[in-house]
Amino acid sequence: MKVYIYKIFERFWHWMQAFLILFLAVTGFEIHGYYELFGYREAVLFHDNAAWAFLVLIVFAIFWHFTTGEWKQYIPTTKMIKEQAQYYITGIFKGAEHPTNKLVYNKFNPLQRMIYLGLKILVIPVMVLSGFAYMYLNYPNMAFELASLDTVAAIHTMGAFFLIIFVIAHIYLTTTGHKPASSMKAMITGWEEMDEKEAKELIVSSLEHNLIKTKEQLISKEDSSKFLDDALEATEKKMGISKDHKFRDVIANSGAGYFKINAKGNFEEVNNAWLKLYKYKNAADVVGKHYSLSRSKEALKELEDSFAKVMNGDTIEHGLVMRKCQDGSVGYHTITMTPCTKDGIIKGVEGFILDVDAKNAAAMQWDK
Amino acid sequence: MKRIFYVILILIVPQIIVFGYITNIDEEQEKDIKLINYTKKADRLDRKVVDHTKFEELQKDFERPQDVTLACLSCHTERHGEIMANNHWTWDRKEKLHGRGLESVGKTNILNNFCIGVSASEKTCTRCHIGYGWEDQSFDFSKAENIDCLVCHDKSGMYEKAKGAAGYPVEGLNLNVISQSVGSPGRTNCGVCHFWGGGGNNVKHGDLDKAMIDCSREVDVHMTTEGEDMSCVECHVTENHNITGKLYALSSENKNRVTCEQCHTDEPHQDKILNDHGYRIACQTCHIPEYAKANSTKMIWDWSTAGRLDEDGHSTHENDADGNHNYLSIKGTFVYDDHVVPEYFWFNGLADHMLITDTIKSFPIQMNSLSGSYDDKNANIESTGSSKIWPVKVHRGKQPYDVGNMTLVQPKLWSPVKGDSAYWVDFDWNESIIAGMGYLGLPYSGEYDFAETEMYWPLNHQVSPADKSLQCIDCHTSSPKGRLANLNDFYLPGRDRFALIDNIGIILLVLTLAGVVIHGGIRIVLGRNNH
Repeated sequence: MKVYIYKIFERFWHWMQAFLILFLAVTGFEIHGYYELFGYREAVLFHDNAAWAFLVLIVFAIFWHFTTGEWKQYIPTTKMIKEQAQYYITGIFKGAEHPTNKLVYNKFNPLQRMIYLGLKILVIPVMVLSGFAYMYLNYPNMAFELASLDTVAAIHTMGAFFLIIFVIAHIYLTTTGHKPASSMKAMITGWEEMDEKEAKELIVSSLEHNLIKTKEQLISKEDSSKFLDDALEATEKKMGISKDHKFRDVIANSGAGYFKINAKGNFEEVNNAWLKLYKYKNAADVVGKHYSLSRSKEALKELEDSFAKVMNGDTIEHGLVMRKCQDGSVGYHTITMTPCTKDGIIKGVEGFILDVDAKNAAAMQWDK
Repeated sequence: MKRIFYVILILIVPQIIVFGYITNIDEEQEKDIKLINYTKKADRLDRKVVDHTKFEELQKDFERPQDVTLACLSCHTERHGEIMANNHWTWDRKEKLHGRGLESVGKTNILNNFCIGVSASEKTCTRCHIGYGWEDQSFDFSKAENIDCLVCHDKSGMYEKAKGAAGYPVEGLNLNVISQSVGSPGRTNCGVCHFWGGGGNNVKHGDLDKAMIDCSREVDVHMTTEGEDMSCVECHVTENHNITGKLYALSSENKNRVTCEQCHTDEPHQDKILNDHGYRIACQTCHIPEYAKANSTKMIWDWSTAGRLDEDGHSTHENDADGNHNYLSIKGTFVYDDHVVPEYFWFNGLADHMLITDTIKSFPIQMNSLSGSYDDKNANIESTGSSKIWPVKVHRGKQPYDVGNMTLVQPKLWSPVKGDSAYWVDFDWNESIIAGMGYLGLPYSGEYDFAETEMYWPLNHQVSPADKSLQCIDCHTSSPKGRLANLNDFYLPGRDRFALIDNIGIILLVLTLAGVVIHGGIRIVLGRNNH
């Protein structure tokens, strides 16, 4: 199954950057005196002009990252980082599954996030600054002249080695995708091949993300659930999605649990999915009891705050939370909480929880 | 379709950019040279405004050469004042030695490591003085009639000064014809001394050679008769007998110099990077890739072997394969070389000299030292601008010095007769040093030895055609043959590296590659087994 994951500009930017880094490396190491290829003068000319081209590309890339919100892909996380490293060290040899999945707004695993962020905020700025200092602060006619070129040259050389090493490792790691060439193909065509399960999760995350985005565009004191329900139904009709495979069923099938809590904080109603997620057998074990049973002691404070806010009329779109199951084990889910009103008076809180795989839990960090 | 478009964008666009730059480079070289203050040969007017053959003053009989001078001055009534202020006349100038006070530096008192010095041997050395009769310290520098106008202004080619005659011309010259031929000095006028200094053609400078009277573009792109055919004074612009230009064999201040920039501007290239190089590199460095291109120049002069006579007690000589002297009894051993690659030094236009009164502190003795370093820039500037890298002929020698007083010495070299303590006649160092130092009124301990010396001659002439100039890689290389391999007080891209960074970088690179191969290899092997 193929899923479209890399957009046009993203691919253009990626390959242009790849070309420029390699070209800068080839000309740069000639300037460094390792070999003769273009001729020294030409190497310098090409290197300087490629540097300017790179700078232009960087400006466009920064613009793109911020206007599309793609910058969030690079927010670092420590969750699953150990698992990801473990996968490359041992798991991959045993044919284990990838510990993290590609989601639309979480394309990178925690190691990628860390390395790419490092490139963006450390290596490339350092290379640009040291490079332009090298190029333009070297003679007395400049506004500021370096005391000597050795420091910038040293920094620039270190960065160059780092980038070359990065490129080698990066190219190799593209072979660890679904099939050895699928990541490479994806970066060329935009379409990435993946197994059905991963593709489904990716699509779910995409829909979920779009729903959240859509909700963010609404400001309403009223309960917006009905409004959204209607809008959803209209969309489904428009797109010709059959009743049997309702759009929201996708979410329902992914295990959405429903709950309702009264003003005192006691459960009034939970559905089967909820019970399953919390590993309870009967609704009677939960109904009438205080919501504190659903959290560990440390996590309870957060829920109390949220509960108080919703009782004041807020709607809460929570990111990732950790639940405490009946047997004391933990699980992860996202949670929405809206006020439950009767005759304009808030009588309680209701909401849905969406289960998150342990391996996706780290991935969801960005939304927090 | 879109895919094809992007492939084209990614692969073709950079090539177009690269192609654009390459063709741009070629265009640059075809553009014309930018010049100021210079009239090209084709545009020069060769119009005679004065015909000296018509002057009665120059038609009368001249008994002495001084009578010619008086005839000149009868019309050019104030010119002698200009001449007598010129160091071609005084052989002396007051200049600040770098890091010291004002000193008198000039041919009268500065020693070199060729013929050492003129003192006590004036009568032969002053063959190159623009005057008549400088035999010893009694010469009257204020007597205008002793000026020799003809040596510089003769255009007949017949004028010649005599050997050992204190600047007087040879006997039997037709001074009427010669004096009526006068005009602006040509390269033969200047060359008779400046080509032949140090006792032979091209001996001293290495970039001033009699071949430059009629040379190819390869030898000197300015003076070549195939091209611009420039005379010396085209660059050494002279007004009121103040001849611009000088060399650091005899001067030490950064003034009255002739520069390339006076015609070529300080932005002569189309390429900004090359123009920027001009802030720290003299034009001469790239544009004089080698010197002594037509005839050999003297690189080493060892006085310590002088005095070896043949069985009959006569002085002898030996020649090398090119016909240059290898050995002369009166002067010692020489090494000549041609097509010499210069040595390179930082230089900011200031120099110091080893005076005869200075104490020798180290060997080899630095006869003159050029001031400058990489750090001589910005706030550290000692002169009028940053130090630049200059091409220099270094002449190495071995000459007598006073072991007791640790000073250089001035031996008396020349005399027309035996028994006058002159080394070239009597071959006795001690006697000649006693005579020379006595002549100057300077102390001599009585004990001499020979010391190694070095003398620095910044190069300015024999500029090569542009396509023969140095290329980037001549300096920006880690090869020990790189032109700047020995100028190590700064970081030069392409030559210098931080071994630690490079070694760690390469090791990490190799480890990464090894990691990829091992990791990938295990995956392949295990993958195969699983299937």
